[in-house]
Amino acid sequence: MRGAAVILVLIMATGMASSFIARNKPRYGTTPMAMPIPKGWPQPVYNFRENQPTREGFELGRRLFYDGRLSKDGNFPCAGCHQQFAAFATFDHSLSHGVDNQLTTRNAPALFNLAWQKEFMHDGGVNHLDLQPLAPLTASNEMGETISNVLQKLRADKQYRRMFRAAFGDTLINTQRMMKALSQFMLMMVSADSKYDKVKRGEAAFTLAENLGQQIFNRKCASCHPPPFFTDFSYRNIGLEPDGTLADSGRMRITLDKRDAYKFRVPSLRNVKVTAPYGHDGRFFSLADVFSHYRQQHTTMPGVDSLVKNGIPLSNFEIGQLTAFLFALTDSTLLSDKRFGLPPGMKEAQFPDPQNH
Amino acid sequence: MIWNPLIGKYGSCIMAALLFAGTLQAQAKSFLLQFRHRVGTAPLVKDSVYANSFAEPFSVHSFKYYISHIQALDAAGKKLEALSGKVFLVDQSDTASTRISLAALPAGTVSVRFLLGVDSTYNTAGVLTGTLDPLNGMFWTWNSGYIMAKLEGRSPASKAPGNYYTYHVGGYKPGQQTARWITLPVNNRQTLYVAANVLKWFNGKHDIMIAAQPVCHAPGSLAVLLADNYAEMFSVINEP
Repeated sequence: MRGAAVILVLIMATGMASSFIARNKPRYGTTPMAMPIPKGWPQPVYNFRENQPTREGFELGRRLFYDGRLSKDGNFPCAGCHQQFAAFATFDHSLSHGVDNQLTTRNAPALFNLAWQKEFMHDGGVNHLDLQPLAPLTASNEMGETISNVLQKLRADKQYRRMFRAAFGDTLINTQRMMKALSQFMLMMVSADSKYDKVKRGEAAFTLAENLGQQIFNRKCASCHPPPFFTDFSYRNIGLEPDGTLADSGRMRITLDKRDAYKFRVPSLRNVKVTAPYGHDGRFFSLADVFSHYRQQHTTMPGVDSLVKNGIPLSNFEIGQLTAFLFALTDSTLLSDKRFGLPPGMKEAQFPDPQNH
Repeated sequence: MIWNPLIGKYGSCIMAALLFAGTLQAQAKSFLLQFRHRVGTAPLVKDSVYANSFAEPFSVHSFKYYISHIQALDAAGKKLEALSGKVFLVDQSDTASTRISLAALPAGTVSVRFLLGVDSTYNTAGVLTGTLDPLNGMFWTWNSGYIMAKLEGRSPASKAPGNYYTYHVGGYKPGQQTARWITLPVNNRQTLYVAANVLKWFNGKHDIMIAAQPVCHAPGSLAVLLADNYAEMFSVINEP
């Protein structure tokens, strides 16, 4: 009898435990989003176990990305410097602009294929995608805001409370959730549908110029800009004379190693047609400027990468073919995908002085 | 019902054990770490003026640091038990944070050890919550990583703007590490009063004059020197 009583207690306990678990399962119905991994690409480095993208999280991240309230004066959303039509770089701006008529010291990088990137910023100072947006958000010459202020603004907004609940199960709004939602949105920005990709998949054919350009590219550019990302994610000194007004030592700022002075991350060349100006400080306004830089010798400045130090021989003819190939890396699907645009019903943040911006 | 006699035999023992454990927990006394912030032997009072060993007058506006991996050690210095898996942020401006309540010490405890700072796992884990939330101002957003400890104030010896001296000490990569293990004797105490003496920041293992080094805002050699110094700031004191 005593045994039976114990069993009964155990059964009841088990039952209670399982109903407890059932009650605490997320009641909210999220729709998981699969991370697109293009054929032949390596596995992403982003840890999806910690942050599984959902339709609801993505939409929340999208709203945050376009919301000026993430900045001090309400005029500088993420999307201010990361414009979709420019592959989420800034169209026609060398140095990015910040609050209170300030210039930053760097050119806004394009955003795509971030799930495969280990480190962020031109100097690789940020070690996790979830952390990255905190850098521009809190920098006094960028969005100039504090995390606490942003969270306060979001908590006061009924729609955000609703969206956080939809994405995470309750209305708790904290730094981690805000950043995870932004990551969910940005992770989906996969660029793998350029003409180059279509040729790879057998859906299109290169023109003669593109074909010749690819051959030149493979010989003279691909060691630092290898496909499929068109960057090896390394940091290199390509002989850009330091600009005293910027005082930017690049990678050395993070590693404190003198050998890393003036090294910056090799940028992806995907969508290069729409991401001008070029260089970490946007000093090159056109591809022609970039090619002419690489044609020159860079022997006076110490520490220049051996691959570019003596100049890369490029004839005018080759530059033409190369340009044709580089233009075939433009992914019009990413640039026009409505999922990544301003959310419906949301107004674009107004810059204080559109003429100057 | 093959399993019935088995459970019948041991079931009551399990229940009894569970009950006993519950009672034990209720009876067991907890161990308390009480941090007391000091300038030498004087209590640290916000914005009061003190002098360091170089006769540099200074005040303290903000003083906070992370404590993690609190462990009980035996006579041989071997770990007996982890006392908490949490990371605590001790903050001069928040009295509650200076009091860390822990489970009772296991038998044979001779000393406790903790890490001043947070380990590299947390420094590479993305955005965390609670005491590790980047909004606590103990995180570098431009160069990912936690500020392990922070001491800020003013000193006429500082030539930095506003005569501020601001020591934000962090760094977790090889050669830049600023987390430090601290071991303190327990002597059968239930409550351990631990003094954190800010004078050691200037004059511990290394001499750091405010006049020469008023600002540390990044990982690197100065941060490591400051970390070596704050590693010496803790000592056990009698009740205040």
